[in-house]
Amino acid sequence: MTAKDPALPQRAATLPPGSSRAYHTGSWRQQRPVHRRRPAPCHHTCPAGEDPQFYIQKLQEHEPEAAFRSILEANPFPAVTGRICPHPCETACNRGRFDEPIAIHAIERHLGDLAIAGRWTAELPPLEEDGPTVAIVGAGPAGLSAAWQLRRRGLRAVLYDRHPLAGGLLRTAIPLYRLPRAVLERELERLFATGIEFRGRCRLGQEIFLDDLRRTHDAVILAIGLSRPRPWSVRGAVPGDLHYGLALLEEWIDVGAAPLQGRTVVVHGGGNTAVDVARLAVRAGARAVHLVTTRALPGDPSAIGPEDVMQAFPREIEQAREEGVIVHPHTTITRLIIRGARLRAVELAAVRALAGPDGRTRRVAFEGTEQILEADMVVPATGEIVDAEGLDRLPRAGDFLASDRWGRIPGEKLLYVAGDASGRGASVSAAIGDGARVAAAVLHDLHRGLAPSPSPEPPIAYEALNLHYFDHEPRREPAILPVPERLESDREIEQGLSASEIASEAGRCFSCGNCLACDNCWTFCPDLAVLKTAEVARDGSHYVFDYDFCKGCGVCAAECPCGFIEMVPEPPPRFAAG
Amino acid sequence: MRAAFEGSQAIARAVAMCRPEVIAAYPITPQTHIVEALARLVYDGELEAEIVSVESEFSAASVVLGAAAAGARAYTASASQGILLMAEVLYNIAGMRLPLVLTCANRAVSAPINIWNDHQDAMAVRDAGWIQLFCTDNQEAVDTTVQAFRITQRTEIPVMVCVDGFILTHLFEPIDLPSQEEVDRYLPPFTFARRLDPARPLTLGALVGPGHYTEVRAELAADLEAAKAEIVAADRDWADITGRFCGGLMRAQGPHSARLGILTLGSIYGTLQEAVATRPPPEPVRLMALRCLRPFPVEALREACRGLCDLIVLERAIAPGAGGILANEVRAALYGMPDAPRVHGAVCGLGGRDVPLEILPRLIELARAAEPVWSEIVDLQATPPVPMEGRVR
Amino acid sequence: MTGTQELRRRQPRFLGLEPGHRACQGCGQALAAALVTEAAGPDVILVNATGCLEVFTTPWPQSAWRLPWIHSLFENAAAVAAGVEAALKRQGRPSKVLAFAGDGGTFDIGFRSLSGMIERHHEVLFVCFDNEAYMNTGVQRSSSTPHAAATTTSPAGRKLPGKRHLKKDLLAIVTAHHLPYAATATVAYPGDLMAKVRRGMATEGPAFLLVYSPCPLGWVHDPRDMIAVARLAVETGIFPVVEFERGELVSVLPIREKKPVVEFLRLQGRFAHLLGDDPKALEEREHLQALADANIARFGLLARGEDERDTVSAARVRRGGRIR
Repeated sequence: MTAKDPALPQRAATLPPGSSRAYHTGSWRQQRPVHRRRPAPCHHTCPAGEDPQFYIQKLQEHEPEAAFRSILEANPFPAVTGRICPHPCETACNRGRFDEPIAIHAIERHLGDLAIAGRWTAELPPLEEDGPTVAIVGAGPAGLSAAWQLRRRGLRAVLYDRHPLAGGLLRTAIPLYRLPRAVLERELERLFATGIEFRGRCRLGQEIFLDDLRRTHDAVILAIGLSRPRPWSVRGAVPGDLHYGLALLEEWIDVGAAPLQGRTVVVHGGGNTAVDVARLAVRAGARAVHLVTTRALPGDPSAIGPEDVMQAFPREIEQAREEGVIVHPHTTITRLIIRGARLRAVELAAVRALAGPDGRTRRVAFEGTEQILEADMVVPATGEIVDAEGLDRLPRAGDFLASDRWGRIPGEKLLYVAGDASGRGASVSAAIGDGARVAAAVLHDLHRGLAPSPSPEPPIAYEALNLHYFDHEPRREPAILPVPERLESDREIEQGLSASEIASEAGRCFSCGNCLACDNCWTFCPDLAVLKTAEVARDGSHYVFDYDFCKGCGVCAAECPCGFIEMVPEPPPRFAAG
Repeated sequence: MRAAFEGSQAIARAVAMCRPEVIAAYPITPQTHIVEALARLVYDGELEAEIVSVESEFSAASVVLGAAAAGARAYTASASQGILLMAEVLYNIAGMRLPLVLTCANRAVSAPINIWNDHQDAMAVRDAGWIQLFCTDNQEAVDTTVQAFRITQRTEIPVMVCVDGFILTHLFEPIDLPSQEEVDRYLPPFTFARRLDPARPLTLGALVGPGHYTEVRAELAADLEAAKAEIVAADRDWADITGRFCGGLMRAQGPHSARLGILTLGSIYGTLQEAVATRPPPEPVRLMALRCLRPFPVEALREACRGLCDLIVLERAIAPGAGGILANEVRAALYGMPDAPRVHGAVCGLGGRDVPLEILPRLIELARAAEPVWSEIVDLQATPPVPMEGRVR
Repeated sequence: MTGTQELRRRQPRFLGLEPGHRACQGCGQALAAALVTEAAGPDVILVNATGCLEVFTTPWPQSAWRLPWIHSLFENAAAVAAGVEAALKRQGRPSKVLAFAGDGGTFDIGFRSLSGMIERHHEVLFVCFDNEAYMNTGVQRSSSTPHAAATTTSPAGRKLPGKRHLKKDLLAIVTAHHLPYAATATVAYPGDLMAKVRRGMATEGPAFLLVYSPCPLGWVHDPRDMIAVARLAVETGIFPVVEFERGELVSVLPIREKKPVVEFLRLQGRFAHLLGDDPKALEEREHLQALADANIARFGLLARGEDERDTVSAARVRRGGRIR
């Protein structure tokens, strides 16, 4: 043995393991990665404010109840909207630019149906004892949504509707082949089980009056929808037995009958009502059904813009045509040919939307393109306006009741308009979203909530994603009932997806702007400065950055598939004095 | 067991008895017989070791480096060009304080290419941080080899055992081989505290900057100094077992009254002993051989030179432009010694040139010079003229 | 920060390397070494040649290695590894020996000892981190530097535009030894790389892994593009990802969508002189494209419809990550 102990590990500059942790390479940084949640385009576009990215994430994490509850924060009837919404979320879905958008619609429906079957509910705070109450006139989607949001905050809402049952046009104007009655009833049941009250057969101006409501409740929301058809004629002429489309549709849904047997029907209009009427005419035994609209079919390149395209949902139009409805786009009715009081034929002419000298579009029927179409019934479905019975002194804005974007009626206190009656948005989801926004305004004005939030952040751009980490996979499409079976009964035309198809579809989600927990940042950091957490990190990711060692190279940000990591300049170092 | 062995064979057997675990083998004259003998032992199952026939001497040294670092007793042999080629590794091994034994079968270095004995190769790496021990005959080679394994294990300094190429390696002479039992008694099983081991991870060979490099080198230098005691102790302990002592740090013989001394390295010592015995010089001569070149035994040398007026350093190496290498080291060692002898540098036997008995009178004459001889090649011959036919135009 | 330390301790993966090492920002070699040691596990001994990895992981008094590790010289990683392997074999210790070297220590100065190690069938997994130049000494060309790339000893000069010789086909030379397993991999496909490390670890006998490791400093690219550059090298055919057993090609990673070489060149300043309109630049671009195409033809790198695993599917991620 030499004098020194040869077992010393320091001899010849031998080093113990892992001692580099003492050196904090984070001091090298000039930029640092941060997690930055951005709204996914689906969330940003949803008129009701749902966050499909979030609930799809919950599905991927095998937490369908949590997924369902997330929808419920914005929308109390996912089984309904999962059937009838035109899903702008899918149009906005970033996956659509990669291969095909996620079938968000089918996923929402699936969660709604699971919730019904499993009797899932949301946890709500108790109703405030002796708290304020809010009267809501109209138990349609906007009114129901407003009542739900108020209830979520513990406030009592009372819904009034002239109809004996709640639901508004969900019940009266949506065909059963699209929205089965049982689905609607179960979701309304769940809603009313929370303590929201409903009083049917209460018509404004007859059974109930605005002034009384304002006295007996702390706030009143008018969610009365648009229930009057826009008056229609052709150069002043109307046939004797004129039935408006909306009335026919409501009757058909209510009793299952319509006086169309054997008739050649011309439906005038291009919206959902018009298309629904045309389809019911087929089912009611019409000999032939024509749909005349001044607008173009979806996908027609000759349309000059979205305002020149039929407002009905494309899949409805497609199914109508499959069922035998003949569509005449870019056409108008120029003359009614009436013998006695009965319609014999209509004269049609080609129409185009042209940009006028003042920048506004106008529709022009072209002389010389006229043709005669034999028909014994014309059904107008060219739009609805508000029925202001009992509300004469409230200000109007064209076809609607005037209000600001939070629903407050100018010159009035604690009186609001929500939904179609306000003119804000033209779909059930828009009505749901509007009802929620108006409820937020009510909560604020009753000192139960914060000021409504400012405009949302822009959604994450497609270019911010790193798509090298995804492979093409086809979208799962639900089965559609073949035409003969559709016409036999009111069975739901569009089926849902199976649980495994839903799981595969959910697996296609890019998780735009939110952590996918894919491990890329954790794997690719050359400095081992990303740490994986067993629980979710505070910022909603599954990882934390170890700024002691992060050198700010930016690889994590570049390889994050979801655009969730951003590099921001490193703040300049602070040097202690002395 | 006393029998006639070729030097290489005896050395190989000594190595084998030390139970090496990894042997690296690369052929270069004149050490090749050593590794061949070891290979035969392994392939015949008489020696349980991994013998790695590498693709160059550089790798030979690297392989044993790795083996030692992993905690195995390792050995290799080389010479001349091989030593130069592995020079980088030799410095690396010593710097990392790895225990290793290497036999250097001293041979001249190219150019011109020459396969015969001189000490230029060992001299070229004398500052690599290895312990360098020179053997005067094959008995010493055997005994020193065994001692080398113990010295290196205790000091964690690698040991180079230098043996004159051909003159010793290819010489048949009677040698007393120790028994396995004697070696086992003397040499403990190999352990290395810093061995590479997943159970106890360490980092060997880090980058060391100006802030610490000096300290690491200073530690090696100090430990080399301290190794002198270990080298002597190893020799004494071996003598206790076998009765054979190699002189510790150096050998010396001759009367106290001698005023002339001759210091050499390696097998020349035997020649000088023979010369003194068979043709007694006119005056008494003290003969000395350095056993240990590194660490340089300053104190022992001074002690051995006490009373001398002239000291001839006879060596088989030269530093062109600076004279004899050993001579200059000796001069430095004796500098400041009271009554230090005059040192004369004599070079002979380069490239394997035979050193005859007649060298002795030549050296005695050299020492009579008025001034100390800086450096003289004492066996230089007049170059024979190149025949006309052989000249290049 | 104790919270982070505790979190680090509980990380669900084995790490052979610690942070605090001095690699440049975005270093491909640092990432590759972390991935390789993760896949190799704790029962290994590492032998590291001189080079970037060695220098930035062991600046005394700190070492970033959690595994037993030795650095000897530039050119002898394979030989030292062979010595370690011989010792372990003799002593009956089952730990696996890995040798790490850069392209310099593999293609050039380390070539000799690599060949010897393979020829003698030592059970060592030799991993070459190929960043295509002598980066540690400041970006000098090696035989691995691609044709026409600019380095300090092969600059994009007025007379000679970058390196004048082709990248040495080391894989061909190594596989000509008919060793049990040799493969190429890159950091852009970490799952593939780690699977190949495991194969190398399981190989009885020598195994060789060539890991393409981008160098932001030497290749002159934005550090954040480190993975993108490696991915493009694969997708253009510039760097084939293949496996050999006993000298025979046994698998490739097919390219789903071939990318033009110029996309790869554009990201890197070392090829900036090739992007102009002058005839010389055009010719070099064509040459590099031709080399990539030759690779694709030679190894059959274009995906056919039925390939289950290709450059797109091999990169797929999903929620929950690679380790749940």
